[in-house]
Formats: sequence, C-alpha cells, structure tokens
Amino acid sequence: MRIETRRRWTAIIRFILFGLAAIALGGFLLAWSGLYNVAASRGHLAVTNAMLTFGMRSSVRTHALGITAPPLDSQDLSTLGAAHFHSGCAFCHGAPGVPISPIAESMLPSPPNLSTSMREWRDRELFWIVKNGLKYTGMPAWAAQQRDDEVWALVAFLRRLPALDAAAYRELALGGLSVPAQSGDEIATTEGTSGAVSACARCHGENRRGPNSRLVPVLHGQPREFLMAALEDYAHGRRASGIMQPLASDLSPEDRERVARYYAGLTPPAAPDLPPLNPESVERGRKLATSGDPAARIPGCMGCHNASSLEAYPRLAGQHAVYMVNRLRLWKGGLASRSRTDAIMAPIAKALNEQQIDDVSAYFSSLNAAGKLNR
Amino acid sequence: MRRAPAGGGILAGSLLLGGCGRDVQSVLAPGGIQAAQIADLAWLLFGFGTLVLAMVVAAVWLALRGSSRIRRILARENAVLTLGIAFPAVTLTLLLGYGVWLMRSHLDLPRDRNAVGIEVVGEQWWWRVTYSGAHGTPIASANEIRIPVGVPVGFKLRAADVIHSFWVPSLGGKVDMIPGRTTQLHLTAERPGIYRGQCAEYCGGPHALMAFEVMAMPAADYAAWLQRAAEPATTPVSEITQRGQSLFLATGCGACHAVRGTSATGTLGPDLTHIGARRSVGIDTLPLTRENLTRFITDGQHVKPGNLMPEFRVLQPPELDALVTYLLSLKVADRHG
Repeated sequence: MRIETRRRWTAIIRFILFGLAAIALGGFLLAWSGLYNVAASRGHLAVTNAMLTFGMRSSVRTHALGITAPPLDSQDLSTLGAAHFHSGCAFCHGAPGVPISPIAESMLPSPPNLSTSMREWRDRELFWIVKNGLKYTGMPAWAAQQRDDEVWALVAFLRRLPALDAAAYRELALGGLSVPAQSGDEIATTEGTSGAVSACARCHGENRRGPNSRLVPVLHGQPREFLMAALEDYAHGRRASGIMQPLASDLSPEDRERVARYYAGLTPPAAPDLPPLNPESVERGRKLATSGDPAARIPGCMGCHNASSLEAYPRLAGQHAVYMVNRLRLWKGGLASRSRTDAIMAPIAKALNEQQIDDVSAYFSSLNAAGKLNR
Repeated sequence: MRRAPAGGGILAGSLLLGGCGRDVQSVLAPGGIQAAQIADLAWLLFGFGTLVLAMVVAAVWLALRGSSRIRRILARENAVLTLGIAFPAVTLTLLLGYGVWLMRSHLDLPRDRNAVGIEVVGEQWWWRVTYSGAHGTPIASANEIRIPVGVPVGFKLRAADVIHSFWVPSLGGKVDMIPGRTTQLHLTAERPGIYRGQCAEYCGGPHALMAFEVMAMPAADYAAWLQRAAEPATTPVSEITQRGQSLFLATGCGACHAVRGTSATGTLGPDLTHIGARRSVGIDTLPLTRENLTRFITDGQHVKPGNLMPEFRVLQPPELDALVTYLLSLKVADRHG
C-alpha cells in the first residue's frame, strides 16, 4: 500500500518536471527559430494589449501606495516642471502647440498625447511613473533618482497642463523668451532650432531678468569657475539633477565655458517681489552666517561665501530663499554627490536644523548681490 | 626598569610588555612622580602575586606528594580559614590601603604656587589645549602638550561632546573627560623627554587615532617657549606664503581654524597659529611634513577616516603648495635663541 502511494507520487513529480522542461525547451526553440515577430510596426494582439495595460495600471497603483504627495499648487514648482517638460517630455508626449514627433508616435506603444488626454492618475501615481519610468514602453526613469523634488515639480506641471492653451504653455515653458523667426537660410544651414530647448534662460533668466521659478538659482554674477565646475559636474553625473544633467551633457566643453562666462558677466537682477521676510529670522540667519553655531559644529557661512572667497565657491547674497531651503534640505536628506565643493558643504548642511535652514536662507535672500541689505 | 624582576613570571611578562616598543608610552617606564608611584605599586602587586602563586603551587605539590603529616595539616579546617580567608582579607586590605595612600595626591590640583595649569578639552577627535600665559591670558593650542620638568602641572580636563579619557602612561594615571564636568589630574615630569598619550575611552570613529605627545622640557625652556607661543602667528613675507595666507582665508579655513593675528578666528577645529612648530598632522596620525599636510587637506578621510574636516579637493596643486608652505611657516613657537 505505502509503496504504491510512493510510486504514484514519483510519477506525478516526474510528469511535472518533464512538463516544465518541455515548456522551457519549447520557449527556447520558439525564440531560437525567430518565428515570433518583434516588429514595433506589427503592434500587439488586442488581448495582449489589454493584458499589458491592465498589468501596468495595477503595478503603478500598487507601487505608488506608500508615497505621500507634498502640496503641488506652487507656481515655482509648476514653472520649473514646465521648463523641463519642454526639453525632456514634449518630444514624445506633445504639448499645447507642440505636436508629437512622428518618430515618437511610431513607438510601440505610442506615447499618450498628454496635451489632449491624460488618464486619471493620482498625484502619487504620476510621481511614481515619472520617477521610475515604465518597462517595455520606452518611458525612461528620472535621470537623477535622488531628486524627488524635481519629479514633484514635473507632477505639479502635469496637473496644470490640461488647462493650458498654446500661448499659456509657451509662456510657462519658454519663460517669456523671445525666439526670433529664422530665415530659410538659417533653418536650412544652421543647427539652431526654434524650440529653444537648450536655452538656459528659459529657467535662469537673462540680462536684467532673474529666474522665473524661485526654485531655480540666480546665476548672474556667480564666479565663472564655480559655474563651469557646476556644468562639468552635471555633465559627468557628479552632481545629481534630472533637469540639469541632460542639458549640461548636451553642451560641448567650449559651450559650457562660453555660457559660464555669459552668466558670470551679468549684473544680478533686481530682487523679485519677495514675500515680506521675518526680521527676527533674518537676524538669526545673519548671526549664523557670520559666526556659525559652534555648539552644533556649524562654521559661519561667510567663511566661504563672501565676496573675496575662492572662485570655486558660489556667492549667496541675493539668492532666493526658496532655492536655498530646497538645496540645503537635499543635503540634509543625504543627497550623495561627488562634486568637490559638495564634499565640503554637505556635512555642514547636515548639521543645520530646520529653523537654521530657514533663517540662513532668509538672511541671504535679504541681501542684494553686493552684500547689502535689500530693504 | 626600576627593579630587578622578582621571578620568572615577571621576567616573561615584562619581555612581552617590552614588545610595546619605545619607552614613550609605558606604565613600566615612568617619567614622572605619579607614574613612578603607579609603577611601584604595580611592581609590588606583581611581586606579591608571584608570592601567592608560589604558595599555591607549593600547597598543591605538598598535598599530592608531601608526607602524611603535612597533608593532614593542609586538610585541617584551620588551614582553609587561615590561608583561604584570613590571608587574602588581610593582605588585600593592606594593599588597598597602601594604594590609596600612595595615590592620594593624584586627583588633587597641586596647591603649589608655582604649579602650572593647563586645560585640555577632549573633542571628536582631537585635543584642545589651553595654556595660561602671563597674567592668566589663555593661549590656545592643540594636539601637543608642553610641560616643564620638575614643576607640578595641574590638568583641568573637560569633554566637548562625548566621554574621552586622558592617559599618558609614562607620566601618570588615566582620568576620564566627561561632558558637563571638569575632572582634574596632577602630573609632575621628572626628566625631559617626549611621552605619548592616548584617548583611553572609545569615543567613536577615529578614536584609535586620537593620540598626542607630551613634551617635558626644562623649566627655563618652557617659560621661553610659552612666551613665544603667546605671540601671534608669523606674518608672511615671501610671495608664496602671502599667497598661501590669502588662499587660507579665501578657502574658508578660518571658519573652523584660528590663526592669531589674522582674520581667521574659527573655534571649531584646532588652533593653527603655530602649526608649523608641531611634530605631527592629523593629531599624531602622521609626522608633520609637506606631503603629509597636503594629504590631510585633500585626502583626510583616508588618512584619518571619520574625522570632521571635509576634504578640500577644490584647490589646484600650485594653490595647495602655497597653502601648505604658509602653514609650515607658522612656527614662531619653534624659534630658538
């Protein structure tokens, strides 16, 4: 009796093992034979398509469960997001007034046109998709995985996108940049494109005009050496930013040098309409900037960020508080960076507490670039 | 070695301990009154321990091989009471009493009017040393301690962050530095020389590299040195040292380090007013040479992993050269004659 049961089990196990081996062999033979057609032009069977879409939506929903969205209604976030959307996303997804490239349209699956239709994703689900990308669809992951703050800026823009017409989109994404119409000769014989995709001024402003989002640093009058090092660090992935890394790596070393010189030579713009600063916070920030907080092992900021400091260090007077708070928080949150100056600043930023971050940012934003109080 | 070894065990033991190297950091090579007392006590204990060991071995041998009369005596209850309870109680009490009496002066600050007072603060992971100059003006220094020979020195010991422990084995006992408290230690060096000390309480990361040197110098030399140490730093005269000084300030070194006589007044890190006169860089991690100083500035996390100074790789080789030349020129305190 027992021997018989055992025989039966042995037979079942053998059947399963042989079955699995046969399936594996069959799969291998199918792949080897090349009978399956991988052509993007062929599309999927309707049933395959339905199954893949169902699996993708479920996967996004489940993986985004633990994410909490920050408030996304800030103009600073959506403006920054719009500028990146224009250079990073519109090629495939289109935008108001910007048609999807026929090349992108021929991908499988063809990317959804976000200017006309967007699925009803939750904020956290959009964040997850933009940050991680989607396998087998051509949707790339965010180039700098550490920069959730940048991903949220894009999500903030995507929330505004359905309400934008072509003119409003252009204003937001090009930052009021005027792109002169090119002659037929120029269009035919030069590399420049009318999309102004690589124009730094879309975010950082130009002569007499500051950045259009307070999350974007003021580059006007920064030392050339510092600007050059920042571009090099972005281009070589030593500094993390999904927005700046692609743009900087597109520039040739000579271009970087020229654009660094351009911003270094600009006079800082007049301070934008600042929300009124808390004078007590500014005063606490001034103390911290000048004499540090020895008990917390924080040296004074002015040791490195004064007018006569090394050219490799940025000047902070007149920088937006919103930008500074964001940057300091990134370091505090453990942003790993291989830039030479970050190695010095990161441990100091880690030692700052939240109030000190606010205070010191308020102080520097209250100064104009000559180091004098703005008010 | 102060005494002839009292037996084979001591000989073997001291040979092993002799492996610890030069006599700059050894309880058995005392260079001061307090250390000599500790060494005396140690030798007394070693001698006594040897005596007890010999007695135990003898008792075991007699219990196995002795005549029946001796074995009977050893088996008596009286033998256990005398040798097992009364003997240790009396001898250990005597030893404890002797030890306390011998060490009574260690933890008091000297009352001598000529006594020298030095404050040492243990920080992660270096020593902040403050001398008392003319009229009690504090003189900031770091990571090296100079003391006069033959004069009692009262150390006030504090800790800035976590518990450290101050121990110069060749000069005296070990005293903890406890945050929020001031502990005291009294040392008197008897012969000039260099004695090595070590943080003896684990204080995180590079604790093992938190060592220092104590330089005992003739009292007259010490007085002259202290006078020079109180002076501000050398004013740079050559072109390269002037460039080094402006780089020192532009790089932000002054936010953490002070160089008296310049606008660098930072207090987070060691005072560098006379760094060129020190013997080591990175707190006794490496001997002070041009190469080692450069390495510490640009590659400090490899030299002393976990130390709180960031690596300054922003400087180009010619800039580093000027900076290091400037730092090495800061040695007023080393000037002789």
